[in-house]
Amino acid sequence: MTGLMPNAGHVARREYLVRVRGRTFRITTLLLAVAVLVFTLLPTLLRGAGVTGDPPQIALDVQADDLASDPVAAIRDALAASGAAGPLVTRAEDPSDAADAVRGGSLDGLLTISRGPDGDLTFEYLSSQGPASVERLLVTQAATSLAVSDRLAAAGIDSAQSAVLFRPPAFVSTSADPDAPDDDRYGEALVVAYFLVILTFMAIITYGNWVAQSVAEEKSNRVMELLITAATPQQLLTGKVLGTGAAGLTQYAAIIAAVAVGMIANGPVSNLLGLRGEAAFRLPSLELWMLPAFAVFFTLGFVLYSTLYAASGSMVSRIEDVQQAAGPLIFVSIAGYFVSFTALNDADAGWVALLSLVPFFSPYLMPMRMLLTSVSAPEILVALGILVVTLVAAIWLASRIYSAGVLMYGQRVGVRTLLRAARVSR
Amino acid sequence: MSLVVDRVSKRFGSVLALDDASFSVEAGAIFGLLGANGAGKTTCMRIVLDILRPDSGSVTWNGQPNTALPRRTWGYLPEERGLYPKMRVEEQLRFLASLYGVSDADARREITDWLERFRIPDYRNRKVEELSKGNQQKIQFIAAILHDPDILIMDEPFSGLDPLNVRLLKEAFLAMRERGKTLIFSTHQMETVEELCEAIAIIDRGRVVLHGLVRDVKRAMGRRVVRLATDGDGAFLAELEKLDALRGLTVGARRADFVELQLPADLDPETILRAALERGQRITRFEIAEPSLEEIFVEHVGRRAIDEEEGHLATSAGGGDIE
Repeated sequence: MTGLMPNAGHVARREYLVRVRGRTFRITTLLLAVAVLVFTLLPTLLRGAGVTGDPPQIALDVQADDLASDPVAAIRDALAASGAAGPLVTRAEDPSDAADAVRGGSLDGLLTISRGPDGDLTFEYLSSQGPASVERLLVTQAATSLAVSDRLAAAGIDSAQSAVLFRPPAFVSTSADPDAPDDDRYGEALVVAYFLVILTFMAIITYGNWVAQSVAEEKSNRVMELLITAATPQQLLTGKVLGTGAAGLTQYAAIIAAVAVGMIANGPVSNLLGLRGEAAFRLPSLELWMLPAFAVFFTLGFVLYSTLYAASGSMVSRIEDVQQAAGPLIFVSIAGYFVSFTALNDADAGWVALLSLVPFFSPYLMPMRMLLTSVSAPEILVALGILVVTLVAAIWLASRIYSAGVLMYGQRVGVRTLLRAARVSR
Repeated sequence: MSLVVDRVSKRFGSVLALDDASFSVEAGAIFGLLGANGAGKTTCMRIVLDILRPDSGSVTWNGQPNTALPRRTWGYLPEERGLYPKMRVEEQLRFLASLYGVSDADARREITDWLERFRIPDYRNRKVEELSKGNQQKIQFIAAILHDPDILIMDEPFSGLDPLNVRLLKEAFLAMRERGKTLIFSTHQMETVEELCEAIAIIDRGRVVLHGLVRDVKRAMGRRVVRLATDGDGAFLAELEKLDALRGLTVGARRADFVELQLPADLDPETILRAALERGQRITRFEIAEPSLEEIFVEHVGRRAIDEEEGHLATSAGGGDIE
């Protein structure tokens, strides 16, 4: 058997250039990048839009006059905490005028505070907005704390004492495992894990499918017979997977660049819009060795799937039949994706640890576990070893199927027919 | 120096595509591989090219097994033409040449040379899908020979070409032979085989039923042909068949302006000439010939194959199967 190079390189180069030069590729890449950029900036932009609109105006009709704390200040502070600048909270001079103003839309809400027959505070809120509005939620919260401090005052506890009562305790949590991720960065680790799972899944589903399409295309326009005469199936298969993979990575680079631009731009944009600073997204505390590990799992996973996609593409004669032939593969990759989403909520579970060793799932699950829990080095190496062995077997199988499949036309090619034909082809 | 196909068999499921097929091709020769559709020609070519492995038997070139030969030994023009429709001619050819390890500079030079030879130098930067069928086929031929292979194997290279392009391709064949290349091709056009091939093999249902030099094959038929034309209505021909002196003579079908008479090997053609003159005929054509390849082909493959082929042609509008 001849070596893979330089022919695999020639095939990869052609595959990459044809893919990247294509109009579809350019348009989808541009659209994806723009979409991702918009999504990253969207929360900031929406908040900005909320601020540049009218500040919320709420009127209070306080019928209970012996309140322990100032209701105007309490409601204003609660609304201001959401980032909305300059909420206007006033006492209504004429409650029925205020109610009309709310109905007419010139006022956002009217909160009536009165004392019930049992001595407890009761609230009625007339709002110009629906039940899902943030404002209403915040007013409810402020009302709750008003009611609580009122009850405390009734029980003889003054406001200074109640402030002490509601102060959060000193709570320090330490994990027995020194490698466990920091508690305060867990949310960010989860976001990154999400991101990795989605990236892996999209790469397999999209770019794997490209490989299958491209093989089927060469078969349907009959270039395959020329190619197979000039190069070995292994060279063609490798070149195809590498070239398509490189094109996929190019698209990913554009998307990731858009995310980075979006995240960097978030600061200046929110300053520009006059938003009060909110904690910016921080990367979770990663150990540096994790990055190449992610890259290795991602690459091996992609190569494993797309090699098999290539084989399935070689089993059909027309591009329309690719989806059907790739059905089992699509099923497995979607299964891996869903399993990972379940696992995200339960990363420490035993079944997750077990599945993270299984070859078709490990590219999804192992990076996720590394982020969310502590994984021992031997465990990672075992998963990697199993993945590599599977990959070698898959390449062997795929190039057999490929070399037999590429010359079969017209008939429905079953796996049995292929394997029989594969025994005698080069 | 020769290509030897030795007792090659190949089965696809229940179909025996090649059955103990053997023949050899001298280096530097132009060789015709003849057979009805589905006879096993394409399978045979694919096995020679080592893109398909036989169940048994071997193929050698100068004593070396084909599995050990470098890929660039072979040039291949498949029956089903195939190029990337959206790629430009030159880019495409350079890619295919690169797979054979041809340097880019050599590839460019050869491409220029061949495009000029085929009188399509302006198509260099055109997409293949924009070219006519005949011109695509020329590109396909260039793709098969850019890496300067020793052996060129072509499946139906002339099908679908107009007479002018057929002429250009024949010239290219001869140019390749000048360079010392060995050419093997299949075709249904017997005149082309008569014109170009030194040797042939006829394959029928997977078996090589006849092979050798065209000259020897014709002699081995053991008979000759006389083409005769006269002024009259040819009524005397019926008498000829009955003459004792002309025993074994058969009068063939009347052609446009002559009649073909089949002679057994021991019959002197001059006897016919004399017999015709004795009956007062004015002879306008008298030609002694060997049987045409078409006759030989029909005789060996039989009416069966021709009937089947006509049926096959009528039904095979779509894709073929693995021949």
